[in-house]
Amino acid sequence: MDHDNAQDASSAPGAPPAGTAHGATATAEQRPSVAELEDLAFELRTKLLQLCGTYEGAVHIGGDLSSADIFTALFHYGLHVDPTDIANPERDRFLLSKGHAAVCMYIAMSMRGFFSYEGIVDTYGQLDSAYGMHPCKVQLPGVEASTGSLGHGLPIAVGMALSARHRGETHRVVCLLGDGETGEGSVWEAAMAARSNELGNLVAFVDRNRQLMTSFEGERVVFEPYPDKWRAFGWNVIEVNGHDMGELVGAIDEFPSPTSNRPTVIICDTVKGKGVDFMEANLAWHAGSLSPKDLERALAALETGRTHSSASNSSGSNSDAREKETV
Amino acid sequence: MPVTFTFGEMLSARSVIGTTLAELGETHENLWVLTPDIGATLVEFRDKYPDRFLDVGLAEQVCVGIAAGLAYDGNIPVVSGMLPFLSMRALEQVRTDICYPNLPVKIIGTHGGLVGNGGSTHYAVEDLALMCALTNMTVTSIGDPLMVGEILRQSMSMPGPIYIRLAVGKADVVLYEPGEHDIRIGKGIVAREGTDATIFTHGTVVAQALQAAEALAADGRSVRVVDMFTLKPIDEELIVRCAEETGGRFVVVEDHLAYGGLASRIADVVVDRNLHLTAFERLGIPQVYAGFGGDEELRNKYGYGLDATVAAVRHVIAATG
Repeated sequence: MDHDNAQDASSAPGAPPAGTAHGATATAEQRPSVAELEDLAFELRTKLLQLCGTYEGAVHIGGDLSSADIFTALFHYGLHVDPTDIANPERDRFLLSKGHAAVCMYIAMSMRGFFSYEGIVDTYGQLDSAYGMHPCKVQLPGVEASTGSLGHGLPIAVGMALSARHRGETHRVVCLLGDGETGEGSVWEAAMAARSNELGNLVAFVDRNRQLMTSFEGERVVFEPYPDKWRAFGWNVIEVNGHDMGELVGAIDEFPSPTSNRPTVIICDTVKGKGVDFMEANLAWHAGSLSPKDLERALAALETGRTHSSASNSSGSNSDAREKETV
Repeated sequence: MPVTFTFGEMLSARSVIGTTLAELGETHENLWVLTPDIGATLVEFRDKYPDRFLDVGLAEQVCVGIAAGLAYDGNIPVVSGMLPFLSMRALEQVRTDICYPNLPVKIIGTHGGLVGNGGSTHYAVEDLALMCALTNMTVTSIGDPLMVGEILRQSMSMPGPIYIRLAVGKADVVLYEPGEHDIRIGKGIVAREGTDATIFTHGTVVAQALQAAEALAADGRSVRVVDMFTLKPIDEELIVRCAEETGGRFVVVEDHLAYGGLASRIADVVVDRNLHLTAFERLGIPQVYAGFGGDEELRNKYGYGLDATVAAVRHVIAATG
């Protein structure tokens, strides 16, 4: 009977204590260029695939790859965060509402100096690791909240934005959702609450990859008119190509003032599995694991896509795939 | 010890929530009060601290989610509403957003049990079973309006979440004079001493149990009444003591499903601690979705009213006499 309220909150292996992570604190002047961000996104995708080829269980690689550019733009450009001072009250808060993209967040944060990449790859999914399928604040204090059950992140973000408002703090609360996730009713409860409380310090990113786990948008669930749904809830709506770093940076540059009175949603048009041809817009690759041979194939595809993308100076090379699944 | 029905003005538990929160709002600048459109009793806090009061409308899930966000940022949120909805519509938010990271959120509400004549959509009858199942959650059920304030005050220093169950409030009677008992979360209250049997109960049914003990005293029976207002963590030592001091005769009466609430909590202790009881009877709501009626009528209909309580105690004493 001693089990009531007993939870082992000891820190897990792989989770560095605050302040020991390596990496520099980026100030506004030091922020990388669009080209540098594209290189970082490529590195993030490479590391994602390597983890997918190392861990024997399933990794949510499809939604990781669709959000990799968004994570890169946020952690290396948009968010005012300091890996050496994770409890700074003035930091921007980042909530991963689509918690199954945890791996992408861990690696993006490691590239920003929060955690060591080796710590992630070496312990991911193992007993007592800080790194698992969905982020856990108890095990990994560098993340802002324990999320994973869909539709929970945005309500928590609303609470954090209200708290900041009340204290007169001017940081932002940024929340990343999946479009499939926005089928959850609690997302729209939160959308209504954010508007009702005039939370201009709240910015949501929607990774609009137009796929659920088992169906394409429109096959089973109709999302359109999607941006209008957010407009109808009184949000400031911005639509970008979620794989065009220039557009993502532009949207970040134009964030409304945190003291403004309307929450903003950046709807990012993306492709699930982006960057690996055999994964793109392929329902089979919602999640999976890569054999050494397929890892090689995936890395080669990533390299080819990058060359092609640079040659055409465009990251919209998957518009055909997108059109096919759009109703 | 008679039941005190005349302690000054009859306070309703619901207005005590509002008054206590307004008082605590002054000493705790990080105290927030949130409600999904059940704010009538919270006007005092709302008027004093409008920027720390949030009525989200009919949206229990986001109400609890926002409380989590506030708590992550160092605030102490109190969510006040109707328990059938807070305990079920928002159950996953309570479990995953509040209990998992062990945040200091207080969930307080009314309509615990077959009260208020709302029908089974509006009766929280399985809430204690649900809340007791959640790791990190402290679970209470309070009948005395004056205790509500005391428990809220004590809960301010708790690092984790607490669930505070009330009935309807308006008709609740003051059971204990201030200072009469040491009221502490996690400790049961011996509301009446006795040696022949113990009635364990919680919430508004404590008053009924005291009436039953009074009626049994007329028969020369000495019946102890324990207000086990904290269901989790439960006061194991008091249970052990009652087993030793009241002939191993236990009767549990509660306005909750008979299985899954206090009776089950006590039965767990009895088994785990290998206590040797001579009799154990549980009175509570059977596996039905109850219909309409007055609170007392429903308790009588479903076998956990005053007469049934008296009969159960007589039975356990006779069976083991």
